[in-house]
Amino acid sequence: MSVGIKKSVLDMALSRLDDAMDNIDISDGLKEYIREPRKSVEVSVTVKKDKGDIEIYRGWRVQHNTNRGPAKGGIRYHPDTNLDDIKALALLMTLKCAVVGIPFGGSKGGVAVDPSALSLRELENLTRRYTFEIINIIGPERDIPAPDVGTNAQVMAWIMDTYSMDKGYTVPGVVTGKPIELGGSLGREEATGRGVVYSVLSALKVNHIETTDLTVAIQGFGNVGSNAAKILYDLGFKIVAISDIGGTVYNKNGIDPYKAYEYTKVKGTVAGLKDAETLEREEIFNLPCNILIPAALGNQIKASNAGNIKARFIAEGANAPTTLEADRILQDRGIFIIPDILCNAGGVTVSYFEWVQGNDSYFWSKREVQLKLRDIMEKAFYEVYKISRDRKVDMRKAAMISGVSRVAEAVKLRGIYP
Amino acid sequence: MLRKIECFIQPSQLDRIKEALIEVNVDGMSISEVKGFGRQRGHLNGEKPSKEVKFLPKTKIEIVVDEELVDSTIKIIVKLGRTGKIGAGKIFVIPVEDAIRVRTSEAGRSAIL
Repeated sequence: MSVGIKKSVLDMALSRLDDAMDNIDISDGLKEYIREPRKSVEVSVTVKKDKGDIEIYRGWRVQHNTNRGPAKGGIRYHPDTNLDDIKALALLMTLKCAVVGIPFGGSKGGVAVDPSALSLRELENLTRRYTFEIINIIGPERDIPAPDVGTNAQVMAWIMDTYSMDKGYTVPGVVTGKPIELGGSLGREEATGRGVVYSVLSALKVNHIETTDLTVAIQGFGNVGSNAAKILYDLGFKIVAISDIGGTVYNKNGIDPYKAYEYTKVKGTVAGLKDAETLEREEIFNLPCNILIPAALGNQIKASNAGNIKARFIAEGANAPTTLEADRILQDRGIFIIPDILCNAGGVTVSYFEWVQGNDSYFWSKREVQLKLRDIMEKAFYEVYKISRDRKVDMRKAAMISGVSRVAEAVKLRGIYP
Repeated sequence: MLRKIECFIQPSQLDRIKEALIEVNVDGMSISEVKGFGRQRGHLNGEKPSKEVKFLPKTKIEIVVDEELVDSTIKIIVKLGRTGKIGAGKIFVIPVEDAIRVRTSEAGRSAIL
């Protein structure tokens, strides 16, 4: 953890949690219980590389809370992954599932590895070895992984296969975000982005803003950013800026996100896109737009750039994209923030649908998935918005209050074992 | 699954919507001339909504399509139904349990294809 004024994602998450818990009537013991992860496992993931040498990677799986149901959370492969981040993200998963009212607890896992530096075979071996190391704590009734940064449907298929081989029978329900052919849900791939869009539409509605002629800036053009951009574009929003690792592209008359996406598939970045001006990566936070969607990693909106943001709405497609200091600056400026645990809950919601379909051995149409997702996202938004109005708190605190109240209630009802 | 798309539009937009839907192979529709009001209580742009409610002429279109075609059908109606003013209309999507062609007794998708 870094020293000085820079706080870790875990410190930030806990500080926001404490702040929310001060607003509800629960005992100190219960507060402590909700802060702490239930189970936290560190493993060595040993991989034999293509050249024959052996490399060991650190891996983790943290189950934060299982009072409302089995733990649910993604697995990320990223070189900067560390236990504190995983703990924070597991906590956010607990709250996120509670905010949207799906019967899951929260967890998160990860391996400190750069997946792009591995061959496909090495990546498969890493995944299978990591799965084996955590095999006793995951399962459809225990803890259900899903894709996250650096992992995808193929990785989920390997986890599912490894788990199934160990059990001796096929267990589709052990992961979500699987390929469709293996029991994945239609609409899962775009779910987080689609959920972000539903949140944006609700936010505009409650603020009495018509959706015509609104401009959008997308920071991060991976799964979440690209899908949100495409869906908003189809609804008539103007995507004026997109940024990723290589830079920011800007065109005040609008960018076609479908073309931009095709371009990134070839070039690996949006930088250099035709019919748009290429700027520095950080410029995304300075450009004029109505809605800003951070959809990359955490801690991107900081005290240093929060003052420059022109958007009136920020929809947090990423987890923990805004630092505490930046939060204060944005609140003071009257910017409406749709917080991560509400805004990007579409992914886990459709994961829940996939789990339900898997348990039922039945499948739904894409439209059915989309309608059910919209219903859950809108309901959660209006519940959080009501708390925000009734208690005169910002949307982030309101979402935390909504989530943590449900977790606290579940703990109270179940009691402490034995 | 079959769905019924029931929409209320401005009569002036009917022809272009009809043409566009035929283009994408919508195999049938029914229309009726109806009267109705919405949030504006039948008061046109600029008028002050009062307690008095006015019924205005609207066109109702009913189309039964396969679920797969719902989104593309809606897209066309929304695009061509827009008048740039309030009161352009509304679209409802309704589940259809079954459909039967009277002449042949064909049922389900076969009845509408």
